[in-house]
Amino acid sequence: MASRSARSRGALEREIIALLAAAGRPVTPADVRAELPGDLAYTTVMTTLSRLHAKGAIERTQQGRAYAYSLTGGAETARVNVTAHQMLKLLDRDSDRAAVLARFVGDLQPDDEALLADLLQQRPKP
Amino acid sequence: MIVLAAAALLIVAGLTSLAGKLIVRRLPPNQAVPLLTGLALTVALCTGIALSAMAVLAWAQLGPMPRLGHWSAPELREHAGFPVGVGLAASVVVGAALLAAGWRVVRSARALWGAARAARALTPVAGDLVLIDEDVPTAYAVAGWQGRIVVSHSMLAALPAGERQVVLAHEAAHLRYRHHLYRHVAALSAAANPLLRGAESAIALGIERWADEAAAAEVHDRRVTARGVARAALAQAGRPAALVGLGMAAQAGLGMADSIVAERVRALQRPAPTGRWLAPALGVGVAAACWLIAAAVTWRANELIQFAESVVARH
Repeated sequence: MASRSARSRGALEREIIALLAAAGRPVTPADVRAELPGDLAYTTVMTTLSRLHAKGAIERTQQGRAYAYSLTGGAETARVNVTAHQMLKLLDRDSDRAAVLARFVGDLQPDDEALLADLLQQRPKP
Repeated sequence: MIVLAAAALLIVAGLTSLAGKLIVRRLPPNQAVPLLTGLALTVALCTGIALSAMAVLAWAQLGPMPRLGHWSAPELREHAGFPVGVGLAASVVVGAALLAAGWRVVRSARALWGAARAARALTPVAGDLVLIDEDVPTAYAVAGWQGRIVVSHSMLAALPAGERQVVLAHEAAHLRYRHHLYRHVAALSAAANPLLRGAESAIALGIERWADEAAAAEVHDRRVTARGVARAALAQAGRPAALVGLGMAAQAGLGMADSIVAERVRALQRPAPTGRWLAPALGVGVAAACWLIAAAVTWRANELIQFAESVVARH
C-alpha cells in the first residue's frame, strides 16, 4: 500500500521551494512537515532540504536548536526571469495554435466564475 | 469505388471530430488522448492518400500524360468511376492540404525554437522549477530540450500548500508525458484536414484532463485537485474567490459554462474514469480500416493505370 506521501524526489523538491517562496520567511523542517500535505517523514524532509542546500538553491540560518531555510537570492532571480517570461508570453500569443506554453488554466468565461466560486464556497466534507 | 473510399474517409474525419469530446469524457484521458491523436493523424494521412489517387487518375488523362505514360486515356476515363473534374478538384484539395500542413510545421517549428531559446534564459531555483515576479498569478510548463515549470510568486501566494501541489504536479505531468507532442500532431492533422478541428480541441481538453488526473493521483484527493484548479483560475482572472458574489453562484446550477476550466472542475467532482476496452478497440479498428481503405485505393489506382497501359500495348 503506497503511503499518502508517495511522490517523486523532484516533486517534493518543487513543493518545498514553492513553500519557501510562498512563506516569505525562513522555514524550519517542522514547518515543512506541518504545511505540506501527506504524512512526510522527518528524515525525508531533512534529506530534501539538505540536497537543496547542497545545490545552493536554499540557504539556512540557525534558529534556536534547528536550522531555518529560505530561498537563495530568490527575489533577484525572479526579477531577472521576468524578461524571458515576457518573451514566452509573446511567442505563445503569436504562435496561433502551436501551443508554446502549457498554461495551468486558460481564460475564464463569465459563467465559469460563478461555478468555480460555488465550488470553493462548499464546505469540505469531514 | 475510389470516390466512395474518399467519401468514407471524409465521413470518418467528421465523426472523429464529433466523437472527440465524448471519447475524452468517457475514457481515462491517458487512453483517450493517444487514441484520438493517433486516429486524427491516421484519418488526415489516409484522406490525403485517397484524394491523391483521384488526382493522379485525373491528371493521367490530360494533355501529354497518356502519350508520355503509354496508357489509354479513354480506358482510364471509363474505369476511373468519376469525372475528370472531380479528380482535378481532389488535386486542388490535396495541394491546399499540403500547403496548410507545411505552413503549420513551419509555424510550430519557429514557435518551438523561439520558446527553447527563451526558456534557456530562465534560471530555475532547482531542478526544473522557475519562479517569476509577476502580478498576475501565472503557472505554465514550457516543453523543450529541458522542460521548465514556471510559477509566479503571486500564484503561490494565492493557494494553500495542498493546492500548490496540484499546480506543480499538473505541470510536471505535461512535461513527463510529453503532451506538447500530442498538441502538435493534432494541430498538424487539423491543418491538413479542417474536418478534424473538433478532434484537435478535444485533444487539447484531454491533455488538461490527463494532467489533472495525474495531479489528483499524486495528491490523493480529487476534491483538493478541483479546488486548486478553481482557485488558480479565479486568481489568474483577478477574481479572488471571496469577491465573487453568492448571487452569481446560484446561476452555476444552470450549467451554461462549457469552457475547458469548467469541464475540468466538473470532471474532478466525479469519480476518475475507469479503463474500458470497447472504445479503444473500436478506435484502433477504425484506424486499421482507414489504412486498409487507403491501401485498397492505392492498389486500385495502380491496377487501373496498368490496365490502361496494357490496352495501348495490345495495339
